[in-house]
Amino acid sequence: MVTILANGFVPESLAECLELKAKRSLTPYAGGTDLMIEEDRGGQYLFLHKIPELKRIREDDDNLYFGAACTFTELLESALAPAILKAALSRIAAPAIRNTGTIGGNIGNGSAKADSALIFFVTDSALKLSGSKGERLVPIQDFYLGRKKLDLQPDELISEVRMPKKWLSKYDYQKIGARKSLAISRLSFAGLFAEENGAITHCAVAFGAVSDVIIRRKDLDSLLIGKTIPDAKAAKSAYIKAYEEAIVPIRGRVSAEYRKETCLNLLKDFLNKMGI
Amino acid sequence: MADSMTFILNGKETVYSGSATARLLDVLRNEYNLTGVKCGCKEGECGACSVILDGRLVNSCMTAMGRVAGSGVVTIEGYRETERFKALDKAYASVSAVQCGFCIPGMVLASECILSKNAHPTEEEIREGISGNLCRCTGYNAIVKAIGIAAKEGDGLW
Ligand SMILES: Cc1cc2nc3c(=O)[nH]c(=O)nc-3n(C[C@H](O)[C@H](O)[C@H](O)COP(=O)(O)OP(=O)(O)OC[C@H]3O[C@@H](n4cnc5c(N)ncnc54)[C@H](O)[C@@H]3O)c2cc1C
Ligand code: FES
Ligand code: FES
Repeated sequence: MVTILANGFVPESLAECLELKAKRSLTPYAGGTDLMIEEDRGGQYLFLHKIPELKRIREDDDNLYFGAACTFTELLESALAPAILKAALSRIAAPAIRNTGTIGGNIGNGSAKADSALIFFVTDSALKLSGSKGERLVPIQDFYLGRKKLDLQPDELISEVRMPKKWLSKYDYQKIGARKSLAISRLSFAGLFAEENGAITHCAVAFGAVSDVIIRRKDLDSLLIGKTIPDAKAAKSAYIKAYEEAIVPIRGRVSAEYRKETCLNLLKDFLNKMGI
Repeated sequence: MADSMTFILNGKETVYSGSATARLLDVLRNEYNLTGVKCGCKEGECGACSVILDGRLVNSCMTAMGRVAGSGVVTIEGYRETERFKALDKAYASVSAVQCGFCIPGMVLASECILSKNAHPTEEEIREGISGNLCRCTGYNAIVKAIGIAAKEGDGLW
């Protein structure tokens, strides 16, 4: 049953929620930790916290599935959430924000500073978008069209994140911020790596908070994939050079040059840790 | 009933028919006169407005009223009536952990949330648990000590 308020709706199923979204112009409200600090809070909210379909955490043979309205704390407490995701979530703000903020809100806010989104980029996760005409699955890289621009129709919601299970075990996560808790990350890095019989089978890196959109370049990472460790060592400087060209920082609170240099240092540290 | 919602406020079923986008903080203070809920920043940074929502610590300034539909909210006024509060109150007093007092309602509710999750927290876990609750006066050490004492003296309560 939908609870109706003066300027908000609280549906209790995804079907009710999508029906409302199709008919009216409503702002999805998950945890509110981004929405409540906005200057203009006019309009009507569509509250997502009572929709069981958006709170589910499950798995099948190949993938993990996280409901968009799961809070950071719920994922930190889940046995299914992988270590790389928990590494990022545990460093978000303080308990009260982690108890409230959700992954759907983190992605839906459209910021390149979003710490959980960084992990969804590096793991090549896909988003399930649900709308009045059905659902579609979009790789998270294609979902971000530009600064605060998302591939999301007015009748659609992010309903689930699908994360492939393969390649999750060997990871690196770094967040460089002014303070440990609070303060949104100034810069963040995540990497995944795998080798088998001396050859690199997987390498993926992503940079948050440096550009308009989180940076993930599969084409560059393919420079290392398939190589032996000695061959990768030989290709290392070309790989770093490629990222030096690919990272175009926006001017923020911390100077653009500092951001770029830090990114490259984090990349070098990652390669060192992986034995390259 | 149209255009209204119910929630449990300090144990009492409460009907609310105002704005869904209003801040829980403002509604608690202005409509329900629960002024133990303090306003320090309205940006989620200070924790003075902390309340317990369905067993978890949240910032009431970051919470719109629609979010509490069907949920339970506990403020310091409700928490004061519990045995657990008495143990925390005694522990805070024993090490003079309160100075101006502005952060204390939030700090006490954060203490409750630390102990309800983990009855025997380490010092590091206590510091992490209050990391979103800022205090201008005490330098935190006395507060951390007080929570440790409450865990010991109030053994069995959590
Ligand atoms: C003090 C403080 C510290 C913070 N620290 C960090 C930090 O360290 N790292 C970090 O990444 N973030 C941080 N944040 C930002 C924020 O907490 C996160 O971005 C959080 O994930 C937002 O989630 P939410 O559920 O609260 O979003 P909401 O505020 O509810 O929503 C955010 C946006 O997403 C939209 N939305 C929500 N859910 C959906 C959905 N299912 N489908 C489509 N659109 C949707 C909303 O309409 C809105 O536009 C911080 C915020 C505060 C106040
Ligand atoms: S007033 Fe809510 S966190 Fe400061
Ligand atoms: S006692 Fe004054 S702010 Fe904490």
